[in-house]
Parts: sequence; C-alpha cells; structure tokens
Amino acid sequence: MGAAWVYAEMVGGHVHESAAELLTIARSLGAEVAAIALGPGATDAAAELGAHGAATVYASDDEVFSGFAGGPQTFAVAGLIEEHRPSIVLFPGTYEGRDVAGRLQARTGSTLMANAIDVVGTDRARTEIFGGMKVVDVQLAGPEPHLVLVRPRSVTPARTDGTAQVVAVPAEIPEAERGARLLERHEEVASGPKLEEAKVVVSGGRGLGGPEAFAMLDALAEAIGGAAVGASRAAVDAGWVPYSYQIGQTGKTVKPEVYIAAGISGALQHIVGMKGAKRIVAINKDADAPILKMADLGVVGDVFQVIPALTEEIRRRTSS
Amino acid sequence: MVLAAAVALFVARGRPRLDIVRAARPAGPLDHPGARARRELVQVLGQRKLFQKAIPGAMHATIFWGFLILLPTIAEAMLAVIDPAWTLPYLGHAAWFAFLQDLFATLVIVGVGVAFFIRKVQRPDRFRGSHMQEADRILLTILGIVTTLLLWNASRIALGYADHPDAAPVANALSSLFSGGRSTEVAERILVWAHLLLVLGFLTYLPRSKHLHIITAAPNVYLAKTAPSGYLEPLRIDLEGTEEDTRFGAAVATDLTRKQVLDLYSCTECGRCQEVCPAWATGKPLSPKLLIMGLRDQVVAEAPALLSAASGGIVELQPLVPNAVTDEVVWDCVTCGACVRECPVDIEHVDTIVDLRRNLVMAESRFPPEAGTMLRGVENSENPWGQPASARTEWTQGLDGIHVLEPGDPPPEVLFWVGCAGAFDERAKATTRSIARLLTAAGIDVAILGPRERCTGDPARRMGHEYLFQTLAEQNVETLNGAGVTKIVASCAHCFNTLANEYPDYGGAYEVVHHTELLAGLIRDGRLGAAAAAASGTVTYHDACYLGRHNGRYDAPRDVLRSTGAGTVEMPRNRERSFCCGAGGARMWMEEGGDARINDTRFAEAEGTGADTVAVACPYCFVMLDDAAKAKGSEVRVADVATLLAESVLAEPAP
Repeated sequence: MGAAWVYAEMVGGHVHESAAELLTIARSLGAEVAAIALGPGATDAAAELGAHGAATVYASDDEVFSGFAGGPQTFAVAGLIEEHRPSIVLFPGTYEGRDVAGRLQARTGSTLMANAIDVVGTDRARTEIFGGMKVVDVQLAGPEPHLVLVRPRSVTPARTDGTAQVVAVPAEIPEAERGARLLERHEEVASGPKLEEAKVVVSGGRGLGGPEAFAMLDALAEAIGGAAVGASRAAVDAGWVPYSYQIGQTGKTVKPEVYIAAGISGALQHIVGMKGAKRIVAINKDADAPILKMADLGVVGDVFQVIPALTEEIRRRTSS
Repeated sequence: MVLAAAVALFVARGRPRLDIVRAARPAGPLDHPGARARRELVQVLGQRKLFQKAIPGAMHATIFWGFLILLPTIAEAMLAVIDPAWTLPYLGHAAWFAFLQDLFATLVIVGVGVAFFIRKVQRPDRFRGSHMQEADRILLTILGIVTTLLLWNASRIALGYADHPDAAPVANALSSLFSGGRSTEVAERILVWAHLLLVLGFLTYLPRSKHLHIITAAPNVYLAKTAPSGYLEPLRIDLEGTEEDTRFGAAVATDLTRKQVLDLYSCTECGRCQEVCPAWATGKPLSPKLLIMGLRDQVVAEAPALLSAASGGIVELQPLVPNAVTDEVVWDCVTCGACVRECPVDIEHVDTIVDLRRNLVMAESRFPPEAGTMLRGVENSENPWGQPASARTEWTQGLDGIHVLEPGDPPPEVLFWVGCAGAFDERAKATTRSIARLLTAAGIDVAILGPRERCTGDPARRMGHEYLFQTLAEQNVETLNGAGVTKIVASCAHCFNTLANEYPDYGGAYEVVHHTELLAGLIRDGRLGAAAAAASGTVTYHDACYLGRHNGRYDAPRDVLRSTGAGTVEMPRNRERSFCCGAGGARMWMEEGGDARINDTRFAEAEGTGADTVAVACPYCFVMLDDAAKAKGSEVRVADVATLLAESVLAEPAP
C-alpha cells in the first residue's frame, strides 16, 4: 500500500484548520502519512502538521503558490505524485481544495470522490446521500492515487505530537500554469465567529419579544466563548436583528456542536437551517412548541429567567 | 386620394408590428374554438371584464359600442365628401340608424367627459406610470370625431339632406345653429372633411400608439389560453436531444411567443392590473402594467433587429432582464393571477414572468440565493425542506385506518395526496390529521403514498426550474399510474392545481378534488354528521389563489364553514378578487422586500372584519397568515377549514 497524503491548504501564511482533520483521517488508514503545504509559511507549518501525524511534509514557501489560483499547486502536486506514487490524496472541501483536486483529476485521470465525510481505506470513502438521510461507503475504482475531497469539520482532529521531516518542493512553475492571477483577497469583516463556523450558536426568536433581548444572548455567547448569535426568521422579519443573523430555509444553515434556541417555536422554516446541530438545547415557555420535540435538552420556562441564570452559571464555572 | 394615403400610411406603420408578431414563436394550441368564440362575445362585445369597475366600465362600453355603431358612418362620410347628396344605400335612409347614430355620438361625448373626469379629477393611482398625455390626445381625437359628426348631421338637417330629422333629436336641436343658406353649405363641407380627416388621421396614428388595442384586443382575447389560469404551458426539455436553439424560457425578444408580443401591443396602460397586484400594493417595484410596458418598449426599440432576425439575419439583442425589467421585478411576482384576471384584454402577465424566470434559473442560474435551499431540497430530497422521505408518514402516528399504499396493493377508491407541507410542517400537519379523521369518520378508506409521494414540482416550476418540475411530474405520474390511482384528494391548493391541470401533460389524468370539495360533498350526502358542537364566533375565509381565482373553487370551503354553525363574514377582497397571502410563485422560499409584507397586509384585512378566526384552505396561506398573526401578537386564530369542521363534527379538540 502506498502512502496517504493530505493537501494542507495555506491561507495567509498559516495552515488551514482542515489539514489537522485530514491528517487525523489519513492516520486511520494505516499507511505512511505525508502532507503537502504550498505557499508562504509552509515550512513553519510543518511542525503543526507533524504534531497531527504527518511523517513527511512536502513544503514550499514560494509566493507563486499564493499569487495564482490553482495552477501552480496542481503542477507541483502532480510532480510529487509522479515521483512518489501515493495511494490516496485527501483534499479539503474548500474553494482551493476543490479547484486543485479537480485540475489534478483532469491531469492524472484518476478517480475523484467529492463531498466525502470520512475515508475508511485507500479505496473506500464515506459520504451522505439523499440529503444526509443515508450514509454509504463508496468503492474508489481506477488507477491510484485516488483523490478525495473531504467536507470540512467531518471529524474531530487528534494530535500525535510527532515531528515531520520537511522535503522542499521545487517552485519552478511554467508560465502556462500561471493562468489565473490572484489579485486580491477579501475577508468578510464580522464581529465574533461566523455563524456557519461557530461551535456553539445561541439563537433567538419571536419569544424574545424585542431587539433588546438580543443583548442577553450576546452576553451568553460571550460567557460561553467563541459562540455566535443567530435568529429565527420571525426575529429578523420583526427587524430586531439584521438578515445576516437569520438561520433557516431562507437564511443560513448551521451545524454547530451545540445549538441553543431561545424563544424559538421551531417552525419548519427554521428547523431546516439547524437540524444538523449535534446537540440542541431549547428554551420555550410553550410546552407544545415543536422545537422541544427535537431538542436534546428542552427547558419549559421563561427565557428572561433561564438565559441570565445560565450565563451566570457558565461565568461562575469558567472563572473558578 | 386622401383615403389611399391614409390607408397606405396605416399599412406602412402597422406592417412592421404585424411582422414582428408573425416572426415570434407560435403560441399554445388554439383548442376549444367554441369557448374562444364565447369569450369574444362576452368579453369583447359584452365588455364583461371592463364592467368589473362600474363607472369606468360603462364609460368604456359606451365609447366602444359607439365606435361599432358609428363604423358605417365612416363610409357615409366618404360618399358625402364626393357629393353631399350621396349616402349609404339602406342605412343612410333608415330612421332607426339615424337615431342610433345620434344617440351614440352623444353618449360617446358623455363617455369622453367621464373619462376626463376619472383621469383629471379622480386621478386613481392605477394610472401611475402610464402615458397620460397620449391618453389625452386619444380622447380629444375621439371627442373631435363625434363632435364633427353631430355638427355635420345638424348641418345636413338644416340643408334638408336628412330623411328623418326627428329621429336624431340632438342633431336636430343643433341644426338651429345653421341658417340653411350658402354659409351652411360651406360649413357642411368643412365639417364632413374635418370628420373624415380626423378619422383617417386617427387610423394612421393607431399603429404607433397604445390605442392599437382596438385592433389587437379581439385577437388577443381569442388567443388567451382556455385552460384554468393556473396552468402553465410546458417546455418539454429533452436533455439528450438538446439543440443549440433549445429555448429555456425567454432571454431576448425573439424568445417571446406571438401571444406574448400581442399582449404587449394590446396594453392600454389602464392599470387595473397594477391596482390589484399584491407586490405593487406592498411597495415593491413590480407592477404588471410597467412590466408589460417595459417589454413593449424593448420590442419596439429592437423592431428593426427583430425583423432582420426573422429573415434569418444574425443580430445582437439585449437581454430582456435586466434591460426591459429588472431582476427584482421578475422575482417579486407571487403568480396570484390577480392581474390576468383583471385585464380587460386578457394579457397573461404571469406566464411571461415565469418564462423570464425559466431563462434566469435554467440558463443563467440567476435567482435570489435564499431560494437555493428549496431547489436543492426538491432536487435531493424531493421536498422543499430537505426532509427525509421516511418522515412523510409521521403525522399518521396515533391515527387508525390510514393505509400506506405499497406497490402491488389494489387501487384505492381515492388517494389522499398529503403534500410536503401537509407532511412536514407542524401547522399543516394539524390540517392533514383533521382531514384524515374526517374521512375516516365518513367511512372513507384513507390511502396515502407515504414515502413514495414526491413534491409535485410546483415550487420549482413557478420559480422557473422547468426541468426539475418535469422530472418530478414524470416520476409522480409513474407512481400514481402504477398504483392505479383514478381519483385524488389534495389538501394543498398548489398540489391541487398541478395535479389537476398540469399532470395531464405528462400522462397523468386523474379526477382531482380539493379536500374542501370532498368534505362539502360528504356533508351534503349526510356522510358527515351534523355539527356535534356548533362553532361559536365568526369566521372569515381567505381564498387561496390556486384554489379560487386560478381554478374557480369558491363555494365548497364556504359551504363547509357554514355547516359548522359559525357566523361567516367576508373580507373586502374575496373570491375572484381575493388578495394573495404572499407565498405563491415560490415566494414562500424567498425573502420579501418593499414597504410592507403581503401576509401582514392580508392578515390586517382579515382582522378588520372583526372575525375571531381566519379560515384557510391551503398550507401556504396557513403558514403565511399564521406568521402574520403571531408577528402582530393578534388573538385572531388561523386554521384550516378542515380543522374547524373536525372540531365541530367530531367535537374533539384539534390534534
């Protein structure tokens, strides 16, 4: 069996968090694990990659990899594959990951599996079908290396605290591979973590009664640390918070570890946007509210009493 | 010679317009000639839709009927121009015709006066955005034509040319203005020439004006579809055989059908559509009138290119969206059909909007991003909310006697089409359970498809994703035909419309009834007992567009409500004039802009009746109006007709 490789995406001089997840998957395959990191900061990132199980890191700090979209990375990875013949290469399901994996497939003619949630062998990937209703294993046929795009946040990264040997990657990229130049990078400015990425989401609905009550949710989110605040459509329609807060059918879809729904009845339109949460905590004064049926922890009570008490308790425990 | 010049000019100006219509894509089939002919009689000759507004209707009918009666007068005037003694062989000597001519000429003058009163004094908002000066010119010309006619007739009476002066009292009275001598002879010459020149001048003006409707309205009415207005013409997309010129909706002017182009020429900018449009009423940019005007302006501007394209030339045309109308306008439409229903000349705004959407969605993937979740849900999970198919039977828990049809089961007497909302939405599930309990109580075997039911495709279709709709329609028809289904009861107005009107195009012909119809029938037949607990309070019924206006089902839900013993009260806008809840046309899955929300506006109207309960007959209306009630913190309850009946007949609280 050949090696299992991970494409460790570099963003702004740092390695993207998906790399640790992909390395955790790669380790489980029992093969030799290596990572490819291309772009400024790659050599420094090798320590972090090693700590998550990469024995080898193919790295280049050359700016050609951050200055162009897709082409140079594809060229470099294709060269490495040609030389070392790994069995499988894992890519993150990010824009760059999808771009490079797609180009690579066209170049190598090997099998590309997209939207995997796990990999269980160098020729077997796991994915969801029918909108997440069924999980299936997919046999990867065709010549190696198999290319697999893994959905971010599919597994929890685990450290090995190992160290990696760094192998420099040549950065002589032909002009033809420099087709799309990266002119600018725009970061969406937002306070607090992004709703879609937050591990904990605190969300308010019509039961909050007005915009002022959202300060209460902000306080809870802050006490938890790294939590984002969202809202149901009713709260957004009422003008209490902007549309960017909206979670649901016509808003954002979130999949946090914990979802705290305060004063949200759980109309279908809302549930569509948060049903993927691992744990759901619902606080509602109406015991018949549909959200309580799907909650892991349902509190029938007044949000104006429960939320401040919860915030207080979390502060007490985290400070001690 | 004057006549020849005028006619030549008319032809020269009108010909390009006709050529553009002829070059357009063929419209739908010209089925049911009897129904079309009847429509010409009732709607064109009878002016029925114009009378939807009493005074403007009477005004228009007077001018229109006057125009018909006075047509022979043009020939009369032409003869008289040559020789004052010449007149039409029979009509020119008939007393009754002299009377009618006199009467209608006078009535047209009154009509023009009323028209000016409406436009200058009343100034209704429906004229906002219309060409008001052009309308003034047209009205003044009409006034000139009939005034010269009356005065000409008066001079003829004075000169003794008229056979029956007494039959034309107005002209007779006016004849006293003329002495009868040489000056009257001159005046008679001037008047007949003035009359004829005005008529011919008007003729040459027509092709370039919005008054062209006097020529295009009758064919436009004839070409309008005979199917219920909820029906959409299919595109029949064959991905295997896609040719380069396959049309995915309307991208540029050459994609419009003949009917769609004729629609543009037929609009008089009367604004009746604008007045009833829920989007316009709540401060959105969409006005059906401005949409038609925008498209017309582009077709007119691109006329040379269109004609060149028709003869095989390669031309570059501007996309209709966003040039003629903006993206926002296209997405604001709830497809409620109020505009189509109101339009006196049968312009079919909704079908054109859906055609514009089809191009945006299928060719350009350009639509409000928040609606993407719905399309993905329908595509991946076969329901707009992306719920698992296995959850389609969750509502049956605790209910007895519900038969989930398995492949190979004998055909059901009637299939209950639950619909996605009815299966997944908490509020709509209450309706579903009520219907099931009522049918069971009436001794009907409740058969459902359960996990084998798929979205009918309605939201995808109204959004313009014809291909997704087609896929679902074909799959559903296969399931239904395979199960031997002949009769379907649907609880969702949108499912009802799609199953009844649109599935026949895909090989699925069933007798489709709405649950309120089935329930009303069961009550009539005595199969559902008399009210065990007479309902108290008053109920107002909200007509669902796809049940009422689009399909003419108004009475059954009202009959059911009356049977519960509740007092009923109507909203100001009811039945065919009902105001949408805001969810149709896939608007259910989009965010709403504008000054106000459509559902809030409608709910306020319902609340204004003083009713304790707003009864609905469609899960979309239910969700929209209930959301509005909750947002307002209103005590008024929103419930489906079936739930209100179940509470009354079964004397049990709602499940």
